[in-house]
Amino acid sequence: MSQPFRTPYPGYDVLDKWDSPSFDDQTREVLRARRDPPPRRFLDPNQFALLEALCAVVIPQRRPEPVPIAPFIDAALHAGRGTGTRFATMPPERDAWLRGLEAIDAEARAAFDGRGFCELVRPKQARLLRSIDRGDCRAPEAWQEMPPQKFFRALLLKQIVQIYYSAPAAMSEIGYGGPASPRGYVRLKVGQIDPWEAPFGTWEDQA
Amino acid sequence: MTQDAPRNDRPRAVNGHAPDVFKREGQVPMREYPKNAPVDFVIVGAGCGGSVLAAKLAEAGMSVVLFDAGPFFQPRRDFASDEREQEKLYWLDPRISDGDDPIELGANNSGRAVGGSSVHFQMVSLRFRPEWFKARSKLGYGRDWPVDWREMWRYYDEVEEALKISGPIRYPWGPDRGRYPYREHEVNEAGLVLARGAEALGVDWAPTPLCTVSAPSGKSPPCAYRGMCKIGCSINAKQSMLITYVPRAIKAGAEVRDLAMVGRIETGADGRATGVSYYRDGKWRFQKAENVVAAGYSIETPRLLLNSSTAQHPQGLGNADGLVGRNLMVHANDAVWGEFDEEIRWYKGPPSMATCEHWNYADDDPSKNFDGGYSFMSQGPLPGDFAGTLTSSTGMFGDDLLEAMGRYNRMAGLKMVGESMPQVDNRVTLADETDELGLPRAKVTHSFCDNDRRLQGHGRKFMSRMMRAAGGKNLFETQSTAHLMGGCPMGDDPETSVTDDMGRVWNVDNLWICDGSLMPTGGGVNPAMTILANAARIADRIIDARFD
Amino acid sequence: MTHDRIYDTFRRRTRRPVGGIGLGAIVAGVGLGFVAAGLAARRPRSANPVKRSRNKREALRLGRDGAAIMGASVLFDSALEHLRGDFRRDEMYVAPLTGATAMAAALAEPRRRKRGRVLEVTHLSSVGIGIAGMGFHLRNISRRPGGISWNNLFYAAPLGAPGALIMSGLFGMVTHRMAQAEGYEHLHGRELACLTALALVAESGEVALLHFRGAFHDKAMYLPVTLPPLAAAGLMAQAIYPHRHFRRPLTLLLRAVEGLGYVGTGFHALGVARNSAGWRNWRQTTLAGPPMPAPISFAGLGKTGRAALDLLAVGEDQPRQNKERAAI
Ligand SMILES: Cc1cc2nc3c(=O)[nH]c(=O)nc-3n(C[C@H](O)[C@H](O)[C@H](O)COP(=O)(O)OP(=O)(O)OC[C@H]3O[C@@H](n4cnc5c(N)ncnc54)[C@H](O)[C@@H]3O)c2cc1C
Ligand code: SF4
Repeated sequence: MSQPFRTPYPGYDVLDKWDSPSFDDQTREVLRARRDPPPRRFLDPNQFALLEALCAVVIPQRRPEPVPIAPFIDAALHAGRGTGTRFATMPPERDAWLRGLEAIDAEARAAFDGRGFCELVRPKQARLLRSIDRGDCRAPEAWQEMPPQKFFRALLLKQIVQIYYSAPAAMSEIGYGGPASPRGYVRLKVGQIDPWEAPFGTWEDQA
Repeated sequence: MTQDAPRNDRPRAVNGHAPDVFKREGQVPMREYPKNAPVDFVIVGAGCGGSVLAAKLAEAGMSVVLFDAGPFFQPRRDFASDEREQEKLYWLDPRISDGDDPIELGANNSGRAVGGSSVHFQMVSLRFRPEWFKARSKLGYGRDWPVDWREMWRYYDEVEEALKISGPIRYPWGPDRGRYPYREHEVNEAGLVLARGAEALGVDWAPTPLCTVSAPSGKSPPCAYRGMCKIGCSINAKQSMLITYVPRAIKAGAEVRDLAMVGRIETGADGRATGVSYYRDGKWRFQKAENVVAAGYSIETPRLLLNSSTAQHPQGLGNADGLVGRNLMVHANDAVWGEFDEEIRWYKGPPSMATCEHWNYADDDPSKNFDGGYSFMSQGPLPGDFAGTLTSSTGMFGDDLLEAMGRYNRMAGLKMVGESMPQVDNRVTLADETDELGLPRAKVTHSFCDNDRRLQGHGRKFMSRMMRAAGGKNLFETQSTAHLMGGCPMGDDPETSVTDDMGRVWNVDNLWICDGSLMPTGGGVNPAMTILANAARIADRIIDARFD
Repeated sequence: MTHDRIYDTFRRRTRRPVGGIGLGAIVAGVGLGFVAAGLAARRPRSANPVKRSRNKREALRLGRDGAAIMGASVLFDSALEHLRGDFRRDEMYVAPLTGATAMAAALAEPRRRKRGRVLEVTHLSSVGIGIAGMGFHLRNISRRPGGISWNNLFYAAPLGAPGALIMSGLFGMVTHRMAQAEGYEHLHGRELACLTALALVAESGEVALLHFRGAFHDKAMYLPVTLPPLAAAGLMAQAIYPHRHFRRPLTLLLRAVEGLGYVGTGFHALGVARNSAGWRNWRQTTLAGPPMPAPISFAGLGKTGRAALDLLAVGEDQPRQNKERAAI
């Protein structure tokens, strides 16, 4: 297991620019609307708990108020909003999620003496996901023909990270400039940053 | 993945007015046409092909109704600086993707809005190499276009001027093209990575000609380098169809019907088109027309033709030979990413500010082991986009992923636009399932051929060398696709093509196609300028034919 | 980057380049410059024993103002541009500071009788630093990918900008010398005409480059590349072959060039407003849009040009006066 991640940009917060020209009304509105995560409507409580556990493994958050991820996946499934692509090897998105969640739980039970995914400690959960990604499955029938890696990468990981990295907290953590309209940037070259950007970061390999 | 109810669910181009795209609020007057009297042209799809055609035909005095399935946005009010919110720009209704190398659709290559994919395209504005218009006879692969390159060259001039393309004074590759209407942009650091690499390897590079202005133009401010072009330009610096040809069309008397999904092109007893059936504001409606143009891009255009079958056209319109939907092409979008010591901060500026077209012109290089060509550009993906790229290519998650994303500001990338060969088995067909409106969905089958794979391998190797030469470390490669081309290729021979050289469907003399699906080959450059130039050419041909 | 102490220090301490601190330093420098200029200019005027012709007084005033305006333009323009460049080289601080001293020194003119060594040294050092600045800018360009390419000419350090500093120094020097000496007006006038003509041509060249970068998107952008070269031609003709002929229209033209300096500033303000979010977003748009302090240098050149014509007039009157005196 790798080191816990430490942000190279401690103290930087894109939300400090909330009242500056880097934010426009529509962006503020979108972010405001997202502050209260939508209620769970599609998954049942167990499935939802499993999804939350998965989100926590994929994006370990050590902040007091973690960025909510699972509620938005649930909401998208509820609304039936897709991504525009359905690979022929995959069932429709809703079925894929239901099947995938169930299969991951089944994998956990098969690998760890009948214990469900949520009951495992973090490192074991991670190990399990890694073997699923390798296609190393102990409960192949639970996937019902759905390719595990495709589900894991193209749906599960992708949607989780795309939700997370459009959250201001995640943007701040990687030193991204965040919303930038109508104000953009002036200084485009290395060693130069605009006063409204993140300060220079510090990385361990460069200390 | 927008979680809230869509705010864009009601048509806005109604009651004799269309939204004023340059304002947060406000409207411009728009002419409207009765449904039961035939208009000269109905155009289905307000993207690159449809908008240019609509503007030019309306300016020539014809009555035009331009349909689009997507909303009519006002960028300054509707476009947020938010990746998820902006997914509203894409065609998110599922399509089935099959084949050995199934392609990703949706955000990756299809827009759904007035303005089409140009609303969220990345503005790279390149021209075809002249020989590509005769790829079969001059270079020995693919197909020939039924057009002479010099004619296309004139139309590139025309559309580049109309869009005030900001590009170099002297472009290093191909025949002289004069200087671009606006000057090149300042190249950002991500672009200089490509530049340094190219200089180290001894190949040319150029500031990318971009479809966003480097100085004020009309009501557009110059680009503010906010770098969110792929999710829509909220300040209107980007010269998308939405703020250029569409307003021009409206001003010249065309009507735009937004949120109007055309389900069928109707044909009469004589087999000719009579108009279109479309769904708008909760109801199916019919618009009569003398001529119908399909401009829905490489998936929706074939789908529409196939969905419009009748007893007389049992396999769909223009599909007597079973060619509709075939020869669909994509661009290989393989990329090489590397880490740098200093912070590049690639989020600043349009994503691709430097380009290298070396391998589109290097026919005699002994290492060239493939037909066709490729270009590549510097990169600047938004965080969500880049995180998705990381996970789908490596499967990484947890602290490894956080750590990798923590180096976002130190990353740079090179991504290719690689030609792939037209193949009859790469195609759009109808799926068994239907969408919400009861229309059969599209199924896209795609596989690369050996030549495609050689080209991609060559590109990845070359880009890696360049990345290393520029100082990149811990390189990794990813593979994906971009752009759609073909599906209804034009040609000189009815046996092997769907339309003639002016986009008229063989055997249905008042049915036309005018979009990316006409392209017989894809070339090694981003397609929008070629689609635009071709549409401008087709418009002139139609106007000439009409007034002769 | 070891020798860029200030940049590195700021960067280490604050994880930022200059940012606010650098701006503060510049503002302080500018303030000091103004105070110094004020002090230097505070001198008894009426204690002028020799009665000078109105033309000469006018010429001295114009020459001084012209040089001062050029200095001010350098001060503000380089402060702005180097701020945009984040003062990533320590040398970049030198430009606005020299601009400030050049302006102060110019305002301290005209001195008479007292030699004013300090002023001379200041004028000359402006020239020297301007030349060095051009060297730095050339080095900056040639080190970038692309070398002397359009992209670098457009967006990297502008080659012509330090020229304004050279001009400010030279104009200061000429003003200085003509205040010291009587009887050389004709010669000084020709020198000044020649110098102004060269400066106008150089300045127009720089404007042509930058307005070309802006694709001459507004027809008014052609003005500063047409009027000044015309004026330059007129002045050059006067320098080579001083002649009363055409001097009146030339004066008008020079006034127009001067006016262009003021109007141009207004146009640039409108240009800033045409950038994303306009003046509300001034922290970006004043840097990204057309440079506000640039056009004013034409006002300075318009003034030195007229100073030259005045001096020529003085010089041409003198021999006549002398001749008349001899006849009596
Ligand atoms: C993310 C991204 C980046 C890109 N970057 C570049 C780039 O940098 N350079 C470049 O040259 N190209 C780029 N492209 C490609 C370029 O945008 C497209 O090739 C081009 O827009 C295609 O033009 P078109 O007219 O064929 O179709 P589109 O522009 O896609 O327009 C089709 C329109 O038709 C409408 N439509 C479809 N079917 C129907 C129907 N049945 N009824 C009503 N309306 C319908 C759709 O809503 C859509 O608005 C990019 C594309 C994407 C997705
Ligand atoms: S970088 Fe320029 S074109 Fe792209 S979104 Fe920003 S302002 Fe618009």
